[in-house]
Amino acid sequence: MTTALIADDEPLLRERLRSLLTQLWPELRLIDDARNGPETLELFEQHRPDIVFLDIHMPGLNGIDTARALGRRAHLVFVTAYEQYAVQAFEQGAIDYLVKPVDSARLADTVERLRTRKQGSDTLHAVLDQLAGHMAQRAQPRAWLQWIKASVGTSVRLIPVDQVHFLRADDKYTLVAWEEGEALIRKSIRELSEELDPARFVQTHRSVIVNLGSVREVVRGLNETAELHLRNHAAVLPVSRNYLHHFRQM
Amino acid sequence: MTTTPIHSYRTLLPTRRQVLTVAVVVALLSWFLHAASRTPLHIVLAHIGFMGSCLLMAYSAAGPLRPQWLSLRAARLLALVVTAPVAALAMAAIMQGANVFSYLRSIKNLSGYIMLVLVALVFGLVLSTLSMRGERRQRERADRLQGELEKNTLERELLDARLRLLQAQIEPHFLFNTLANVEALVASGSPNAGPVLRQLIAYLRAAMPRLNDADATLGTELQLVRTYLDLMHMRMPDRLQYDVANLPALASLRFPAMALLTLVENAVCHGIDPSMAGGRIEVGGERHDDKVVLWVSDTGVGMAETAQPGTGLSNLRTRLQAFYGADAHLDVHEQQPHGVRVELHFQPGMPA
Repeated sequence: MTTALIADDEPLLRERLRSLLTQLWPELRLIDDARNGPETLELFEQHRPDIVFLDIHMPGLNGIDTARALGRRAHLVFVTAYEQYAVQAFEQGAIDYLVKPVDSARLADTVERLRTRKQGSDTLHAVLDQLAGHMAQRAQPRAWLQWIKASVGTSVRLIPVDQVHFLRADDKYTLVAWEEGEALIRKSIRELSEELDPARFVQTHRSVIVNLGSVREVVRGLNETAELHLRNHAAVLPVSRNYLHHFRQM
Repeated sequence: MTTTPIHSYRTLLPTRRQVLTVAVVVALLSWFLHAASRTPLHIVLAHIGFMGSCLLMAYSAAGPLRPQWLSLRAARLLALVVTAPVAALAMAAIMQGANVFSYLRSIKNLSGYIMLVLVALVFGLVLSTLSMRGERRQRERADRLQGELEKNTLERELLDARLRLLQAQIEPHFLFNTLANVEALVASGSPNAGPVLRQLIAYLRAAMPRLNDADATLGTELQLVRTYLDLMHMRMPDRLQYDVANLPALASLRFPAMALLTLVENAVCHGIDPSMAGGRIEVGGERHDDKVVLWVSDTGVGMAETAQPGTGLSNLRTRLQAFYGADAHLDVHEQQPHGVRVELHFQPGMPA
């Protein structure tokens, strides 16, 4: 007997697919539903269903990554609400998919194909790798620091780096000066200089990193040094000889 | 701004324009004195030229080298007054060698020396006054341009924010998923189908892009947030709990449309939805005298320090400041043990 697993994070949609499948394919045995990626893998290992209906958008592990873990051990049917890029890839790779809300005529076609057990496409892995790359890229195009966590009073503020004027080493801590005030953080200038986007933040001194957007004026000094005057802050920051090259063309 | 002294060799030197002006004045004055006194032109030119150069150098070096307690104007005038007699004396020393003092003992020569100092001072003071007035005008013009630039930038940002709001479409992913849920309710004959569909319609109507948000109030915004959260709760009943406070005292407050909704959508999409266990969203507010704080907090997965802030938050900040003035601000806090709390702080001014 053919068995199948439905994986979707939304209960009403799991119910709907279950009832449609029961109507269209009464002999199909549906095991317990999965609510997220990890649960899908767990239930799969327990029951080894022949077919898995996989929602793409799921917490824990998305449908694409779950599919990569399942590989060719089951026949996969992807279910998507609006992942246009995925739909295109499935079309090209001749991989089964359904769009939400699921149309029962369309599901009947899919069921017909599943019954005759035409094995899935050879392109499955290539398509999945491509989609996984796509999703990872969308989630995090760059891993530069975007928020600085700082204790202010009793709470931990998340300061958008765009609002930061400069960071300066201050004894054991680092002083963050931003649009709404100043705070001390534990991260060192060294760590920050590696984590901040170098297109927006430059180190100007052993103990100073400045937001280029905050610099109003660079005043050349003696001995290959300079001073930075800021747009909205009274501080004058030093530029030492080793870092002056950042401002040569300014 | 602090007035830190500027140490750079270039700032000690006069500008090209100052050099040219002094050269022209020196030439004209020399010609006039030559014609009046019948002294040979090259002698007059040497005297006047030397004096002019000394005074110009003193004038331009006085600014950067002055002590901090001395104003720029006073430093320059003082430099001229000191330089004029010294330069004239130096001139006489060059011309007469070691005999300078015996030379000056003659009344005729002394009066010539005093004349030279006086002429140098008069011209030096007149030129420096003109120059400083020009500098002041230039500075005022630069300040005015800077002010206009800042104003233009603010206006453009606001316009951008409004445009983006107009372009902001209903998330297709949200729409199709919600419709799929409604379809499921209809197909199963659930009595909830009608009410849920009406909620979706109310949400779509409120969230449609529109030009004018002048008549939007906090009351309607809270209603919109409730409608949205009701719909999301239908979709993820086991993962989303929420509470939207009733704020009767603030309900009639003028409020930028979609501002709270943006924060609540963020909390659902980036806090609750990625979490397998889900979490709770709370929307609330308080008024202290003339200050209002509104907040949206969630117990979701929290925010990575590398999470892209997106345009939503900076957009919201711009609109908030356009609505309530530059003091309005948006703070993002981390919640313990996990989650995010966003606070809007502003002064509504006159009650609407």
